[in-house]
Amino acid sequence: MIEVKNVTKTYGKKENAFVALYDVSFTIPDGASVAILGKSGSGKSTLMHAMSGLDKPEKGEIVINGKNILTMKQKEIDKFRSREMSFIFQSFFVQANESCYDNVSLPLEIANVSMSRRKAKIEAALKAVELIDKKKSRARDLSGGQKQRLAVARAIVNSPKILFADEPTGNLDSVTGGVVEDLLFGYNKKNNVTLIIVTHDEDLANRCDIQIHIKDGRVESIGGLK
Amino acid sequence: MKLRDIAIRAGRSLKHAKARTLLTSLAIGVGAFTIVLSLAVGAGGRQYAANIISSNTNERALYNISVKQDGTDSSKPKKFTDAQIANYGGYEMVLLKQSDVDKMAKVDGVESVMPYFTIIPKYVTREGQDKYQANIEPFQSDVKLEYAAGNAKGIENQSVIIPDEYREALGFKNASDAIGQKIQIYIEKGASDPLNPEIKAFEYTVVGVNKKPTVAINGGTALQLTSDNMKVINNFNLQGTPTYGTYMSALVMAKDNVSVKTVKENLDKAGYVSKTAEDLMGFIFQFINVLQAILIGFGALAVLTSVFGIINTQYISVLERTQQIGLMKALGMRRRDVGRLFKFEAAWVGFLGGSIGSILAVIGGTIANPIISKALNIGDASLIIFESSSVAIVIVGLVIVSVVSGILPARKAAKLNPIEALRTE
Repeated sequence: MIEVKNVTKTYGKKENAFVALYDVSFTIPDGASVAILGKSGSGKSTLMHAMSGLDKPEKGEIVINGKNILTMKQKEIDKFRSREMSFIFQSFFVQANESCYDNVSLPLEIANVSMSRRKAKIEAALKAVELIDKKKSRARDLSGGQKQRLAVARAIVNSPKILFADEPTGNLDSVTGGVVEDLLFGYNKKNNVTLIIVTHDEDLANRCDIQIHIKDGRVESIGGLK
Repeated sequence: MKLRDIAIRAGRSLKHAKARTLLTSLAIGVGAFTIVLSLAVGAGGRQYAANIISSNTNERALYNISVKQDGTDSSKPKKFTDAQIANYGGYEMVLLKQSDVDKMAKVDGVESVMPYFTIIPKYVTREGQDKYQANIEPFQSDVKLEYAAGNAKGIENQSVIIPDEYREALGFKNASDAIGQKIQIYIEKGASDPLNPEIKAFEYTVVGVNKKPTVAINGGTALQLTSDNMKVINNFNLQGTPTYGTYMSALVMAKDNVSVKTVKENLDKAGYVSKTAEDLMGFIFQFINVLQAILIGFGALAVLTSVFGIINTQYISVLERTQQIGLMKALGMRRRDVGRLFKFEAAWVGFLGGSIGSILAVIGGTIANPIISKALNIGDASLIIFESSSVAIVIVGLVIVSVVSGILPARKAAKLNPIEALRTE
């Protein structure tokens, strides 16, 4: 369970201060799929960063499974992120020079998974996104859709509890985008993993269990929450 | 993240920027090349010098013994002493007398005293051959000579060792023919009528023929007789002259259980100045060390230049890989590990540069060595000697230097804000 309590985040100082998030509160149950909707500049990305511990809001609490990640030390947050969380980005951020295998290996290396246990995990992840035959290809030789599938493989390889996706289909056409969406929702349902998608795509948002609309740093409405 | 994984990732990202990695490494390589080569030249030079010293001196011996003189100030009148003074082109030296030799023999720690003198005979010849000028020296067992035939083991009072040149001049076809043959040394009697000098022949049996020395400074170019034999000839030669019964210098051997320095001090107390082998040859080492230090200085300068190269390259690398760093940090990579990744890259560059430079230096040195030895006519002696330990130290040192240069860029990478790095708008 993720509880966001009264989170406020301000950028800049004094007269230049800009409130990115103001008193944001909501709760996400385990295994839910959540869409955070809003126009660009609405604060939705800031919210994702805060929930993943990449950014530190000055007020409020973010409690994940009973622990407030905002009071953790940097070292603990890093460890927490490497074991429990995962990311997919609009621009993929796969390492073009490296093979698909090495790309997927990175989170395991960061999480200190032993060499012997990596291979099976990496191959399982590549199979799940149907890229196992591209194992040794360099990421730069893949198409856009394949790159995002590779990013999905990288995100799921270490069996995270929470999967963040920042505009995962933003750079893809509707067909390849649909494939990636299916992968994400399939993984979310099958493994009971919390999926948090930041998007401004209403169709994608409607596939999610919960829709949180953000406007000017405030929660405008929460839909679908029982 | 495990160090091993960091090292592999660092190596991989260098592999992806081959040209840049190689060029940065080459800058260090120049430094490594210079330093490895200077260390090799130093090692070779020292070994060559040590060879010369051990061939020409004995570490248990004290050389150039002379009587201590007071009043070195030549502008003041000196008190009369009954010392025999020889004057060599304005350089005055007090000659040693038999009494001095006897006195030195009694000094603490002295094993033996051998008076040293050279004799210039009238000429050297053998039956049916031409007459030749020659120098005669006392045989010193500690001067190592190479023999073309025979050896010094059988040297006794009627024996002589001749250089190979004299063997040829005296008409022996090859070295072994000369062994056992007799030659005559003609000596002028001292104080005889200059217009009609009295000359006496001394006959000796050849027991050894020595080759032209490659490392010997003294010895090997003169005929050699035993010290006792020399005295006989010397006395005949100097009879009735002012220098009769004197010696230019002496060689003192220290007892095995006493340090040479102690004996030197004891001799000094007894009134004699002497020099140890170290005193005589120390300057050679000093010269080599200074030369080596200068060369290493140039190498260090090259390394210093390459340090800026590494810093620059690594900064560019950090800028280029902003997104990669951001991603790694988002995935939970610790700041320390991000820093380590870049330090490892710098370490690889240093290792690569150090290795390239060292390998080139070893190849170059190995090729140049025989050419240099030939050009300087020093026989088989090597002036460039590579020691694997010093090469290893140079490489390790350069790796450390590189890591230190990589600290600033690594810190920049570690401090990078992942949110900023992953912003795509």
